[in-house]
Amino acid sequence: MGVLVFAEHDGAAVTEATRRAVSAASALGAPVDAVVAGGDEAEDVAASLAGTGVGRAWLCQGAPYADQLPEPLAERLVALVRAEGYEAVVAATSTQARDLLPRVAAGLDVQMLTDVTAIEDTETFVRPNYTGSVLARLRCREAVQVLTVRATNFAPPAADGTSPAVARLEPGTDPGLSRLLEVQRTDSSRPELASARVVVAGGRGVADVGVGELEALADRLGAAIGASRGAVEAGLLPNDAQVGLTAKVVAPDLYIAAGISGSIYHVSGMKDSGVIVAINKDPEAPIFDVADYGLVADLREALPQLLEALEPS
Amino acid sequence: MKVLAAVKRVVDYNVRVRVRADGSGVDTANTRMAMNPFDETAIEEAVRLREAGTASEVVAVTVGDAGSEEVLRTALAFGADRALRVESDAPLEPLAVSKALAAVADREQPDLVLMGKQAIDDDSNQVGQMLACHLGWAQATFACAVTPADDELHVVREVDGGQRTVAVALPAVVTTELELNEPRYIKLPSIMKAKKQAIERLGLAEIAVDGSPRLELLGVSEPPPREAGEQVDSAAALVDRLKNEAQVI
Amino acid sequence: MTTYRAPTRDLRFVIEELIGLERLAGLADLEAVTPELLEAVLAEAGRLADEVWAPLNVTGDQQGCSLTDGAVALPEGFADAYRAFVEGGWNGINAPPEHGGQGLPAVVASATQEMWHGANMALALAPMLSAGATTLLQRHGDASLRERFLGKLVSGEWTGTMDLSEPQAGSDLGQVACRAVPDGDAYRLHGEKIYITWGEHEAAENIIHLVLARTPDAPAGHRGISLFLVPKYLVEADGSLGARNDVHCTALEDKLGIHGSPTCTIAYGDREGAVGYLVGEAHRGLKYMFTMMNEARHKVGLQGVGVAERAYQQAVAFARERIQGRRPGGEAAVPILHHPDVRRMLMTMRAQTEAMRALALLAAAEMDVAEHSPDETARAAAQRRVDLLTPVVKAVATDQAVETASLGIQVHGGMGYVEELGVPQLLRDVRIAPIYEGTNGIQAQDFTLRKVLKDGGETLEGVLAEADGVVEALRADSALAGLGDGLAEALAALRGSTQRLLRDGADDALVPLTAATPYLAQAGLVLGGWLMGRAALVARQQGDAGSGDTAFYTAKLHTARFYMRHVLPRAHGYTPAIRGGSDELEAIDDEHW
Ligand SMILES: Cc1cc2nc3c(=O)[nH]c(=O)nc-3n(C[C@H](O)[C@H](O)[C@H](O)COP(=O)(O)OP(=O)(O)OC[C@H]3O[C@@H](n4cnc5c(N)ncnc54)[C@H](O)[C@@H]3O)c2cc1C
Repeated sequence: MGVLVFAEHDGAAVTEATRRAVSAASALGAPVDAVVAGGDEAEDVAASLAGTGVGRAWLCQGAPYADQLPEPLAERLVALVRAEGYEAVVAATSTQARDLLPRVAAGLDVQMLTDVTAIEDTETFVRPNYTGSVLARLRCREAVQVLTVRATNFAPPAADGTSPAVARLEPGTDPGLSRLLEVQRTDSSRPELASARVVVAGGRGVADVGVGELEALADRLGAAIGASRGAVEAGLLPNDAQVGLTAKVVAPDLYIAAGISGSIYHVSGMKDSGVIVAINKDPEAPIFDVADYGLVADLREALPQLLEALEPS
Repeated sequence: MKVLAAVKRVVDYNVRVRVRADGSGVDTANTRMAMNPFDETAIEEAVRLREAGTASEVVAVTVGDAGSEEVLRTALAFGADRALRVESDAPLEPLAVSKALAAVADREQPDLVLMGKQAIDDDSNQVGQMLACHLGWAQATFACAVTPADDELHVVREVDGGQRTVAVALPAVVTTELELNEPRYIKLPSIMKAKKQAIERLGLAEIAVDGSPRLELLGVSEPPPREAGEQVDSAAALVDRLKNEAQVI
Repeated sequence: MTTYRAPTRDLRFVIEELIGLERLAGLADLEAVTPELLEAVLAEAGRLADEVWAPLNVTGDQQGCSLTDGAVALPEGFADAYRAFVEGGWNGINAPPEHGGQGLPAVVASATQEMWHGANMALALAPMLSAGATTLLQRHGDASLRERFLGKLVSGEWTGTMDLSEPQAGSDLGQVACRAVPDGDAYRLHGEKIYITWGEHEAAENIIHLVLARTPDAPAGHRGISLFLVPKYLVEADGSLGARNDVHCTALEDKLGIHGSPTCTIAYGDREGAVGYLVGEAHRGLKYMFTMMNEARHKVGLQGVGVAERAYQQAVAFARERIQGRRPGGEAAVPILHHPDVRRMLMTMRAQTEAMRALALLAAAEMDVAEHSPDETARAAAQRRVDLLTPVVKAVATDQAVETASLGIQVHGGMGYVEELGVPQLLRDVRIAPIYEGTNGIQAQDFTLRKVLKDGGETLEGVLAEADGVVEALRADSALAGLGDGLAEALAALRGSTQRLLRDGADDALVPLTAATPYLAQAGLVLGGWLMGRAALVARQQGDAGSGDTAFYTAKLHTARFYMRHVLPRAHGYTPAIRGGSDELEAIDDEHW
């Protein structure tokens, strides 16, 4: 009985997306537990689930789990689900969850749902396909429901006074199929793109001003930097900054699209943002169709002016 | 090394699909179809491995109806040595596809299975991982660089916040990002040659895979459009609105 | 910036649905074309055209070619783009497999050729001229010449040129004066050719010139001209390259357009004489030339279609974006796409282009039948059609392309006249097409005198009878009946013109010569109407069948309607000139000019 949330974390606390996944999981109408994989830090991470309503936090500790390798982790989760009789496994859509959960689902012999955007009732789900241009409503009556959920579509859990009970999992056997060699993080002085409150995103148009101006604006706003596919292809911004359905889906409170024309691919990765601002010199750019505030202007002028207007007076 | 490359036929990425008026699905009759772009990257990588001498044979496989042999022809034109279709007139869910591929892998005994990280029609991003689970193999998803090293592969994976490099033991399943390579321009003689190559076929029943759906599709719709807002005439006006009206800064 | 996307959808429509793949079924020695194969071939050619060739079009225009010490430097990227084309195997697309070609029908090859021209006409001229040289060698060269030169010409590793023109010998090739003196097994050539397209460059290892020249014993005029193969580098028996031949580029033309295509003055025999090999028999050079004339001219027509397509794509993209002026009663300024006059221009461009694409591909399919049908009567009938349609495709498609490129400028307004967006280039480039491979004036004479009047209008009437069938089918569909009426009137006008010329031309040779150009223009419009009528019928059928590709068929119906109502009626405007006789022009004395 119950729902198991796979809790993703940054080494200290669960991600904001995981907190929202917990609230999505609670819509399935059963008690929610969580599982934290890691090394020694797992305990702190479990503690960060306080107030989310998670009843029990499983600690899955040990060498292969600390490296977040999918093969041993999936095997261990399958065993846990079976042993405890969980009816659902939920995680926030992320590269890790996309990597892990299908392996868990296959281990349980169930068809999972990727990137669920709405939970209508305990067996009816909505998820996008065709690059976000189509929404499918699906009924899932699998013995175990396995879902990744698009965190930005779910509110954070209302804080309660609970603290999860912590339980340690016996390590499983390590099949030894893979090893982690290296982790390269892109510049982490800015907030993480997936969970940033403000995103400043650049498109090909940024070539006119240079990336520096965009970064200055992001720094001023404490924003993460996003990119259109065009900007990535043009070598202006790194690939992991790319916003779009098959890249990163974001929904910050404020999304500023600078020099982005607004292809359907890009828009489906950011259209759920709270407030969208578009700055583009082409008044016909489709990005304006989804923007709350549009400014038709050349970035060469608009970005310095924005920085100036943001200067505390 | 023998490589199996899984490819899928999908609606061309340039085509804007339309939802059928009754909401029962998406209209794909007569629309332009093409190989899933992520799979193009996979087959390209497979052929490069063979050209580099790392792989000895590349077998392309798809699961689908007769029309989907078109993408096997494309795979052959890319340079795959053989092609095989698991016959299924109805589209299968990822779980069933992964089981079909697992059965193919049992027969073919590849050392490496390459496929796109996801198909751009149903965007599930599941098959590779499920396949690896069925086979009990290592998996490396979202690959943007693949380097053979002794009897394993070093794979750079694109993940949130950066990259992770993993070493996977062979046999393994690797799913690809578009950044992995730039698919080649297909040569006309390759197209002509591919046209004449035989395509092996396998029935679902032959490999004992149950293709019946686990999920029930209740309907599809187009997402509600986001309404266009207001045009402001200066950066100062914009900051003013964000501060005082929207209150987001 | 200027963009181009190969019109693969319309090309497939024409080949599969207007012509029908069944037309090609059963042709000997040709690869069978399935819809899947056609789609794969067009998609891949289109990818190379869009992604590799098209982006070089503007830079090719800006940089042009230059000559230093006899060597021609091409614009940046041209040599690599040509090599990508050769490595892709596209050069030999319809050459026979025994020479290393792919053996596809001419109609499929033509579809790809349109794309190359649309993507980059200056570059596409290299394989276009090579194809002429290749065909001549294949048909008339002896085994040893073929053995030595054909394979690399087919693959495109070597390029070929056509060396006809001399300062005093343009339209009248009987004036060719280049000399060829026997020297052992070979000849030594002396003389100069002008305007030789891709006559010198470094994009290929070797250049094979096919040269018209006279042997010492040759009679004067047309009958004394022979055809020679003159390689830039001599080729050893083992196929390796030998000494540099005495054939050199001495000048490059500075010209209106196609700046990326080197137009060369070629000098033979400045020193010891250029080594040349006789192709076929002596004194039959011009005859051989004529056997490949249809193909060469047809390709120029395709060139017109390709550039016109690009002009249309660019104009329509601009018209969507440029905001100017209001609609009657409207408040806000609108994209100019919404102004009736701009719509008229854009539709005129599109309708002409689609009609000529259909006609050019149909002619190519007839070439396939003429060459490969197992049935001799079918071959002969198809050949008559090829002969009839070739001058129409060459002249009408290129004249309309010039109009279309000019309209493209007009749609852009001032932005069309300035160079920034690459719009004027299209007009400058395509303006050569009505001139070379026989001027359009010469085409009109050929069509009128040799293709129509000579057989009493019989071959033309055979085509028009098919068009009558289209009229009937259109009239049988209440939604298209008006189009049927329009086509019927235009057919009647063309038949009237033909009858008149048959009658008056018999007595006075000057009458058809005066009427030829308007008569050809009228015929071109009517033949275009025939095919657009058929397109309308197919589009209606597909619409009824609930085809998933409704957008394409709806657009096609719009185009067909516009063609019938706005473009086809121009045919009637030519009638007075066709019937007007030659008296006015002949009455003008030289001092009144
Ligand atoms: C860019 C370019 C590339 C070329 N490439 C090649 C090439 O690769 N190889 C090659 O051999 N040539 C090439 N040419 C030459 C081209 O084929 C000739 O220019 C063309 O055939 C016309 O010949 P001409 O220039 O001597 O004009 P002319 O023959 O002098 O014609 C001038 C005008 O008189 C008209 N006219 C001439 N004779 C008659 C007649 N009997 N009845 C009625 N009207 C007549 C013509 O229609 C034209 O309007 C090229 C030319 C150019 C400009």
